[in-house]
Amino acid sequence: MIGPSRVAELDMPGAAIETTTSRPAQSYWNESWERLRHNPIGMAAGVLILIFGVVAILAPLFSAVLTHFQPQSVDLLATFKPPGGAHMLGTDELGRDTLTRLIWGGRVTLGVAFLTVGIALSAGTAVGMAAGYYGGWADDALMRFVDMVLAIPAIFLFILMSILIHPTPVTLALIIASVGWGNVARLVRGEVLSVKQRDFIMATRSIGARDVRVMIRHLLPNVLPVLIVAASLGVGQIILIEAALDFLGLGIQPPTASWGNMLTNAESYFYHSAWLVYFPGVMIFVTVLCSNIFGNAVRDAFDPRLKS
Amino acid sequence: MLAKYMARRFLASIVVVLGVTAITLALMKTTSGSYVPGIDLNPSLRPEDIARLRADLGLDRPGWQWYITWIWGVLHGDFGHSMIDGSTVTSHILDRLPNTIELTLTAIVIGVIIAIPVGVIGALRHGSKTDHTMTVVSVAGFAVPQFWMGLILILIFSVTLEQHGLPWLPSSGAYSAVNGGDFFDRVEHLILPATVLSFFYISTWSRFIRSSMLEVLSQDYIRTARAKGMSERRVVYLHGLRNALIPLITLIGLELPGLVSGGLVVEVVFGWPGIGKLAFERALQYDYTTVMGVTFFATLLVIAGNLLADVLYGVLDPRIRYG
Amino acid sequence: MTEPLLEVKDLHTVFNTKEGVVKAVDGVSFELYPGETLGIVGESGCGKSVTALSIMRLQRPGKIVGGKVLFKGHDLVKNTEDEMREVRGKEIAMIFQDPMTSLNPVYRTGWQVAEPLRLHHGWDGKKSLASAVSMLTRVGIPSAAHRARDYPHQFSGGMRQRVMIAMGLTTTPAVLIADDPTTALDVTIQAQILDLLRHVNREFGTATMLITHNLGVVAGMCQRIIVMYAGKIVEAGPTTDVFAHPKHPYTWSLLRSIPRLDADRHEPLKPIEGLPPSLIDLPSGCAFHPRCAFRVDRCPRDVPQLQTVNDTQQAACWVTQAGTELKGA
Repeated sequence: MIGPSRVAELDMPGAAIETTTSRPAQSYWNESWERLRHNPIGMAAGVLILIFGVVAILAPLFSAVLTHFQPQSVDLLATFKPPGGAHMLGTDELGRDTLTRLIWGGRVTLGVAFLTVGIALSAGTAVGMAAGYYGGWADDALMRFVDMVLAIPAIFLFILMSILIHPTPVTLALIIASVGWGNVARLVRGEVLSVKQRDFIMATRSIGARDVRVMIRHLLPNVLPVLIVAASLGVGQIILIEAALDFLGLGIQPPTASWGNMLTNAESYFYHSAWLVYFPGVMIFVTVLCSNIFGNAVRDAFDPRLKS
Repeated sequence: MLAKYMARRFLASIVVVLGVTAITLALMKTTSGSYVPGIDLNPSLRPEDIARLRADLGLDRPGWQWYITWIWGVLHGDFGHSMIDGSTVTSHILDRLPNTIELTLTAIVIGVIIAIPVGVIGALRHGSKTDHTMTVVSVAGFAVPQFWMGLILILIFSVTLEQHGLPWLPSSGAYSAVNGGDFFDRVEHLILPATVLSFFYISTWSRFIRSSMLEVLSQDYIRTARAKGMSERRVVYLHGLRNALIPLITLIGLELPGLVSGGLVVEVVFGWPGIGKLAFERALQYDYTTVMGVTFFATLLVIAGNLLADVLYGVLDPRIRYG
Repeated sequence: MTEPLLEVKDLHTVFNTKEGVVKAVDGVSFELYPGETLGIVGESGCGKSVTALSIMRLQRPGKIVGGKVLFKGHDLVKNTEDEMREVRGKEIAMIFQDPMTSLNPVYRTGWQVAEPLRLHHGWDGKKSLASAVSMLTRVGIPSAAHRARDYPHQFSGGMRQRVMIAMGLTTTPAVLIADDPTTALDVTIQAQILDLLRHVNREFGTATMLITHNLGVVAGMCQRIIVMYAGKIVEAGPTTDVFAHPKHPYTWSLLRSIPRLDADRHEPLKPIEGLPPSLIDLPSGCAFHPRCAFRVDRCPRDVPQLQTVNDTQQAACWVTQAGTELKGA
């Protein structure tokens, strides 16, 4: 759209003076991607997560080629070795190689985290869509249910459920998602309510499109940005929760390595092998930091107005 | 107006409580029936024992009976009995609750005291190096696992200091078992866990205050205030901050529900004898009923806390109070 | 001739933006005499508000880069912040466009109206509140003592603007600057507020600067008006003269574009051609020339200065300075 330059209201102090110059029109997704691309810190964080993800997926390869150890191979002759030599980051109380366990642990942690996000998003979107679209008593009922689920303190719910259900990576993901979906549902419902008002929805329905079709083909694409932002921002929190549960012994059980359960016995390491406390914690910290930064970058890319 | 608002919120809360009870019941039912948690780990239990336990837990009664009994019990302050030793959950709660509140309230107070100045400075000096540093620290603060931070602090302030012969802070308990219990002893024990717990609050709230202040300072009434010829300090603190703090009250209010549950991990790391640690200990012993009772209690507090926060907001914002 | 109360001399205020330097106030000079009502007219973005804010030194993030603002002989541009605070709200008061957002929502109205008295006269709470209540009564708020305890959101738009006016007048300032005080209000309320301003001007003798984009507002209110365009003053003079025979094509076009009840039903409306210019990238010569019906060769080349064109009027236009009358269909 080629147009003349315009000057906005100058009367208030502090008003931003904006001019639009002529530029070809771009789709919302392209524009968002452009904004994201030009955020160097955000992109760096995203790339780092990608690298972690790739390493996690290729864990067996790294075991074979880089460290030459398996995550669960015990070597009682080499317990509590400090970093250096064959064991690049040292060993733990059973002589297991720390670096190998960090790599495999990342696999578990990241795997559970992404699975959790997937479950929470799916369930939350389905419920939120239905509530927002149908409105009325269905909306009230569904949202009251969400209120109830969200009223229970998450950590207690997790503890409760880990007694009832034996924690494997999959069940753990289900447990953690059982709270997360509620917030997603609220978010989606909000978006749907605002999009629902728009004329094109009415137009679609007036030509006889079925509800599900309207929801999937028309509402969903509009809700997607919010979901993507929520997912990006949520991954970090989920990793922290998962790590905490593992640390408490209520999540992934040893001998399977996860960053959290590598710290379960940390107090006993203090006096002689402090590095065993540092490494897993740093991994968690860096991963969560990157996903938070990336999440913020994604949110800013989709809606720069939200930036303070 | 305020009374009507409060009544509405209260009714909504009741509905949620009833619903949570139903969920609790459903959880029990879906996993029990023939399964009593922890049973299969104890090979010495005979079928008769299992049957007796099930009867004790009320698993052989229809759902709605259990529902009524439970609600009735809760109204009388009965949150169930332990599966392990038969002690009442209520007695444990009464025992541990003060400790948890002591810890989390302290953390909130520390959080507020530090977050407000940090946030205000960030807003007043936004864009500067100071502001950027503060933002970076906040962002980092979000990413640190609480339990790990606790471990590191113990490592530094308890273990390492002790190893170097310097005065060190205790790493567990609310007070020393030997010669302890006085005010300073308790404070000593409180410092590390409260600091860890407050870190999250400081990170969140300082950023929030900052953006709230920035928004408030761009409002028209701030321009009016300046046009009336008052000092910038008065503009910022009397006219600006007062408005910026209102949403913070809501945020703090949102934390009140978490008062009981938020400290669980910290309690475990620091051996702090609170409700969270109670739930954790009992969970390890598969004492399902105790964990259930404590969870329900905590949920009630969450709902009450939400209600309180709503009311607080209504009181503080004149637009609702006199609206 | 009495001494002017306020003399703005060649004021320049700019905003530094990513896209360039915006010359919001580009060499503005005028005077305000005691007790008079001066209207400053112009469309959005012409610089009238920034001029007023510059007088109060509230133009941030803009910067005053040249000129003087003489108030009772003293240059406000050279004042320190502390010195300006003695002036603001005490000698020169300013009220703003939207009374809803211009009052602090969390403090009682009476307290806010009394604040300038506490600040500048050092009065205590009781005394200042009593004075505020009496001022509220004088601006037409019924049961003022009661209403002073109310919060801003409990007032209607018109009442809120009265509160703002009361707040501005409590210290009986020499000058009241009203930045578009009626736009946010219903038409019937607008008339009441303008009445109030007229009344205040007569009773207190406060010199009033009324900023607006609405020619109808200045017609009934102001003795003299200034017309601004693209950061400059293009015309100045007594209201009746300017309306009767405008000496700048912009003013002329503005007056012509107002729909008239006595016009022929089939006559098309006469808007001003073109769009307002970008203040970063002004047209060469006279800023209005691309839209001007009277344009001559000189206009795109040289920037006209504000000069006297007859006994009472000034205009910045090559055409009228040469003596030509502005006439047209």
